[in-house]
Amino acid sequence: MIEPFTVPFMGRALAEIALLALICGPVGVFVLVRRLSFVSDALTHTVFPGVVVGFLAGGADGIFLGALVAGLLTAVVLTVLTRGGAVTDDASTAVLLTAMFSLGVVLVSRRSSYTSDLTTFLFGRLLTVTTQQIAETAALAAVILGLLAVGARALLFRAFDPVAAAAAGYRTFWLDLWLNVLVALVVVAAVRAVGTILVVALLIVPAAAARLVTDRPAVLALLGTGLILAAGYAGLLISWHASIGYGIALTSASTVVLLLVAAYLVLLPAGRLR
Amino acid sequence: MTALRYTGVSVGYQGSPVLTGVNLALRAGRRLALVGPNGAGKSTLIRSVVGLAEVLGGTAQVFGRSPERGRELCGYVPQAGDLDADFPVTAGQVVLMGRYRRIGWFRPTRAADRRAARDALDRVGLADHAGRRYGVLSGGQRQRVLLARALAAEPRMLLLDEPFNGVDAVSQEAILAVLRDLTAAGTALMLSTHDLRLAREVADEACLVNGRQWAAGPPSEVLSDATLREAYAP
Repeated sequence: MIEPFTVPFMGRALAEIALLALICGPVGVFVLVRRLSFVSDALTHTVFPGVVVGFLAGGADGIFLGALVAGLLTAVVLTVLTRGGAVTDDASTAVLLTAMFSLGVVLVSRRSSYTSDLTTFLFGRLLTVTTQQIAETAALAAVILGLLAVGARALLFRAFDPVAAAAAGYRTFWLDLWLNVLVALVVVAAVRAVGTILVVALLIVPAAAARLVTDRPAVLALLGTGLILAAGYAGLLISWHASIGYGIALTSASTVVLLLVAAYLVLLPAGRLR
Repeated sequence: MTALRYTGVSVGYQGSPVLTGVNLALRAGRRLALVGPNGAGKSTLIRSVVGLAEVLGGTAQVFGRSPERGRELCGYVPQAGDLDADFPVTAGQVVLMGRYRRIGWFRPTRAADRRAARDALDRVGLADHAGRRYGVLSGGQRQRVLLARALAAEPRMLLLDEPFNGVDAVSQEAILAVLRDLTAAGTALMLSTHDLRLAREVADEACLVNGRQWAAGPPSEVLSDATLREAYAP
C-alpha cells in the first residue's frame, strides 16, 4: 500500500494531491454554499487560454504565470458581470466561458504537437509533477489558506444573508471578488496536475458529497479535504497497479475524480435518510 | 438622544424614488411602527437607515451621522422567509454572525463572543436549539434566531422588516416580550408591519406610508379609519 509511493514520481504526485486537498476542501465549501459551481467551471475554462499563452511564451514554466494572470483577470470580470444580482448572470458567464475556451483552442491549434498539448492542458499530468511545481503549489496554498482564514467569517455571512451582511457594513462586491480570486488561485494551483477540466471536480464534488452527511461548514471543509486525500491516495494506487500489474493505461487524475464521484454516489443514500 | 432624524427624505433604488416626503424623529427607547400596504416603501425606508437603499433627497441622520456611518449602532432583522433553508449552518452560528463586525477580520472568535451569542439565543427562548440547523426550525423560530443575531451585536437601534410574517403565536409573544424589554432598556425600535392590530399593540409611534408619508404620530391618530382609508385608497 505504501511501496508505490517510495517511487519518486508517485511520492511527488501524492504530495501534490495532498496540497490540493488542503485548499480544495475549504474553498469548495464556499463554492457550494454560494452556488458558484458554474462560475468555477467558467474560471477553469477561462484559465485555459492563459495556460496556452504561458506555454507558447515560456514553455512548461510559463504555464503557471499565464494561468495566474488569466485567472485573476477572469475573477475580476466575473465579479463585475455578476454584480448586484442575487443570481448569477448565467448567459454572460457562459459567453465568457466559451469565448475564452475557444480562444485557447485556436491558440493551441497553431502548434504542430496540437493533440498532445491540448490533452496535457485539459487533463493535466499528475505523474510528471516536479519538485518546483510542488513548491509553487505549496506557496499558493499558503496564500489561499491565509486569505480564507481572514475572510471566512465574512464570506459565510455574505453567503447566508447578503442583505444583513451589507447592513452590518460588509462590502458585497469586494467579498465576491475575494471568493472569485480564491477560486481562481485554486484553479491555477491545480491546473498543471489535474488540468483545466478536472480541477472543477476537486472543488465541487467533495463539498457536495460531504454536504450529504453534515450541516456544519467547518466539518464540510474537513470532510472535503479528507475525501480528496482518500481518493487521491486510492486513485494513484489503482492507476499504478493497473498499469504495472495489468498493463492498463489508467490516467491517475481521472481515476481520482472517478473515485470522488463514487464517494458522492455512496453517500447519496445517507443524505436521503437524514 | 435622537436615534433617527429624517427631514423631507426621499428613498429609493438606482435614482428612482420609492417613498417620498418622510419626516421622522425617533428617540431612544421609543417604538415606531411603519404601516402601509405591500409595495408602500416600508422595507425601502428601513433599508435606507442601514445604507442599503439610497437617500435621494432631504436629510437623513442616524445617531447624528450619515446612514453609512450610523449603521454600526443599528441591528437589522430581515424577513426569515427570504433566506435559504438548505444552507448548512446551525442556529448558534447564525447568531454568532451578529458578532462578526465586533470581532473584526484578524481576531479569532473568543469565548466572550460565543457567550454573547448564547445569551442572545437564550433571550429569544431558543437556547436549546443552538446546535440545530437553521433551515429545520419553524418560521417563527427562524425569525427569533435572526432577532437574536441582531441582539448579539448589542445595537442601540433595532430595525425589523415584517417580523411577524408567517410567525406562530408562541414566537410572536416571545418576540414581543424581547422588544418590550429592549426598549425599556433604551434601545430605539423601528419595525414594519401590515398588521394594524399588532402595530397598535407594539408601537408608541406610528408612521403611515404608501409611496409617500401620509401621517406620523401617536398610533391612535395615525391608524384611525379615516387616515387609513385615505392612504390605502388607490
